Amino acid sequence: MLTYQGIPVWRHVGIIEWAAQIVSAVVVVALVVWFFFNIGRAIDARDIPFGFSFLDREYQTPIGDAIIPYESSDSFLYALVVATTNTIVVAIAGVILATMLGIAIGVARLSGNWIISKLALIYVEFFRNVPLLVQLLFWFYIILTLPTVREAYVIADWIYLDNAGLSVPWPSSTEVGASLAWLGVAVLGVIAGVFVHRLLTRREVETGQPSYPLLSGIGTAVVIGAGAWAVVWAGAGESPFVVSIPEPAGRFGRIDGGFTFRAGLLVLLIGLVMYTAAFIAEIVRAGIQSVGRGQIEAARALGLSNTEALRRVTFPQALRVIIPPMISQYLNLTKNSSLGGAVGYADMTSVGITMTQTAPAISIFLIIMLTYLLMSLTWSLIGNLYNRRIGLAGDRR
Amino acid sequence: MTTLGDQASSRFDALPPPPMSVGFAGWVRNNLFSAWYNGALTIVSVLAIGLAVWFGASWVFGVAHWSVIGELGGRFIIGQYNTEGACPGQNCFWRPQVGLLLASMLLGMAWGYAGGGVVKRAALVVAGVSAAMALLPYGFDRMGMDVRLLLVANVPAAFGGMALGRYTPLGTPRWIAIVGVASFVLTLVLISGLPGVPGLQPVSVTSWGGLMLNLLLATCGITLSLPLGIALALGRRSHLPVVKMLCVGFIEVFRGVPLITLLFMSQVVVPLAFPQDFPLNSVFRAAIIITLFSSAYMAENVRGGLQALHPGQAEAARALGLHGWQITLLISLPQALRNVIPAIAGQFIGLFKDTSLVYIIGMLDVVEVGRAFILGNPEYLESARELFVFVGIVFWIFTYSMSYISRRVEEHMGVGQR
Repeated sequence: MLTYQGIPVWRHVGIIEWAAQIVSAVVVVALVVWFFFNIGRAIDARDIPFGFSFLDREYQTPIGDAIIPYESSDSFLYALVVATTNTIVVAIAGVILATMLGIAIGVARLSGNWIISKLALIYVEFFRNVPLLVQLLFWFYIILTLPTVREAYVIADWIYLDNAGLSVPWPSSTEVGASLAWLGVAVLGVIAGVFVHRLLTRREVETGQPSYPLLSGIGTAVVIGAGAWAVVWAGAGESPFVVSIPEPAGRFGRIDGGFTFRAGLLVLLIGLVMYTAAFIAEIVRAGIQSVGRGQIEAARALGLSNTEALRRVTFPQALRVIIPPMISQYLNLTKNSSLGGAVGYADMTSVGITMTQTAPAISIFLIIMLTYLLMSLTWSLIGNLYNRRIGLAGDRR
Repeated sequence: MTTLGDQASSRFDALPPPPMSVGFAGWVRNNLFSAWYNGALTIVSVLAIGLAVWFGASWVFGVAHWSVIGELGGRFIIGQYNTEGACPGQNCFWRPQVGLLLASMLLGMAWGYAGGGVVKRAALVVAGVSAAMALLPYGFDRMGMDVRLLLVANVPAAFGGMALGRYTPLGTPRWIAIVGVASFVLTLVLISGLPGVPGLQPVSVTSWGGLMLNLLLATCGITLSLPLGIALALGRRSHLPVVKMLCVGFIEVFRGVPLITLLFMSQVVVPLAFPQDFPLNSVFRAAIIITLFSSAYMAENVRGGLQALHPGQAEAARALGLHGWQITLLISLPQALRNVIPAIAGQFIGLFKDTSLVYIIGMLDVVEVGRAFILGNPEYLESARELFVFVGIVFWIFTYSMSYISRRVEEHMGVGQR
């Protein structure tokens, strides 16, 4: 009789477990191998090109909304980089705007004002429950049926809205060197401000003397920035940035100056932001509600003002509950930007689908899916790092 | 027993509360004008609501051309299913309708078993709305008297199901589940048709569409993604390294990429892995991909529920002599699932919304029916708004009912009260 540690092998838990694992691993590996082997055979049989040699070829297809410079004679690889940049830009802008709108609506949900909280509820229930695609198409056709550029809606002479997109005033640099110099100093100023804030906070905590860390920090940054602005102005004779205001130009309607959110980008941003904000609002509401009433009452009893209690007691504790689901919403927003193709925005997926007409689909989609995976991993990394920083000491699993 | 309050009230006549703190005036004061900024907010938002209602109403009743909805009519419901190209020489509308009848009957059976509550409401609403559609003035595609009669038949079907559930031994959860699976298979067979059977000629899946397609995909995804998700969640928490690794890999890959890239891959790449005549059509592949995608999310929800469970539960179960699988199935899972009902319902709603993404593989679901119509008939460009408002409302009705049902289930299970 076959025994191990005195137990027959077919009844030894350890051996059964390992056998089960080996069998499942073999089955999965066999399935994957079978899948790719078949694909390989099909590719050979049907002369479908495979491999990554196409990346060096010229893409020869225009990409609308390219945010970094792009020409049709650029390679597939560079076109993919352009498309990835487009996706990243939408994701970052969308995340920032959706967070702002979502927090506003989440706080409105908890407002003591009955009308405001009901309005926020209606917003959440509506935008959360309708598919993003339907919302995107709705906004898309609204923009598409707007008047042409020549008859654009003009808001306060500065903002133009027409069927090509939305043009808004935007900072523009007069001289690149001066702008970069100022930007560099400004960044240093912000770093100095953060440093001052930390130093004064520590002083306040250690000595108990009021040191106004927030005010001093912001002050430091503003003073350094303004000083640098004055120096650049005096040195170069021009301010580092001017506000470029859009204005109509040309006979057939064109808008010069400012920044134009082209229709695709505009629709995708509106749709993603309004959709994701509904989810974020619910997360914010749940987070704030998760902080026990006793906490706020205790803070009030200790003499903190209402705003102080909110800022120092409620909010830090609510953040701990809010951040993890918030990060997963950011991840969802990034992935949902793949619907850009439906509204004419050249994001990664839509460019990839166009590329499949002239290049092997498998290779392209392997690259694209890996890129999305990388983005997801980046988001979870950020989330984990943040969680570790703010998490409770006993809570680290 | 007399309390301090009773004594006090017997000695003094209590003053009435200040008139501004009770009743309607008090409510208005407390909820709308509790501080100056709240008063300002109330006034501004009432003005804004007034404006919105005014413009909204003048758009809905004046500007908007709702004729596009009637123009599409039955396309929204079954897509190209009943066109001459898909179903030549006969009327095939009755086949999906039988599926609807079966659904009404099943809901009726559940109502008979549960004896009322949210199931009853769901059964009555589904049957009632279906019957009411028979009265629509629009001609659905080849919507003759037979179609209308079959729609009306949903009401007797629901009541018949109720009778079955209440007065026959079929009224047990097990039988309802068996009948449910059988009806789903029967519906699929009816809709796809059987070669060689007169009156049931095969209809190519490329012609399936409309709300029917969304509902088929969602039903399949919802019923399969929960068990699959539970399995993945258990696998992820397993102490066996290989099983854990496989589950983590699956979950992270499927959660890390957008659904439409997966759907696109399923259309372009997956067919290459199978022989050319392999019976794996595009609807089937889409259903599998949507199910797998959703189950990865489901696994994380279930895992959250399992993690939140106090380890004492499993330890107590072990102390009582339960072993491995018994602990999981009888102690851990029921509590974990009950605690994450909202997350699971949210995932089901997400899945239903995600069925609109099949546009990427060229299938005409209810959204794409509208979009394709606008693309093909540019003269209706101005009506696109009306169209997508309508589609949005259709989706909203389904998703909102789902979240309503989940809240009722949650109440019924007593979440947060035990």
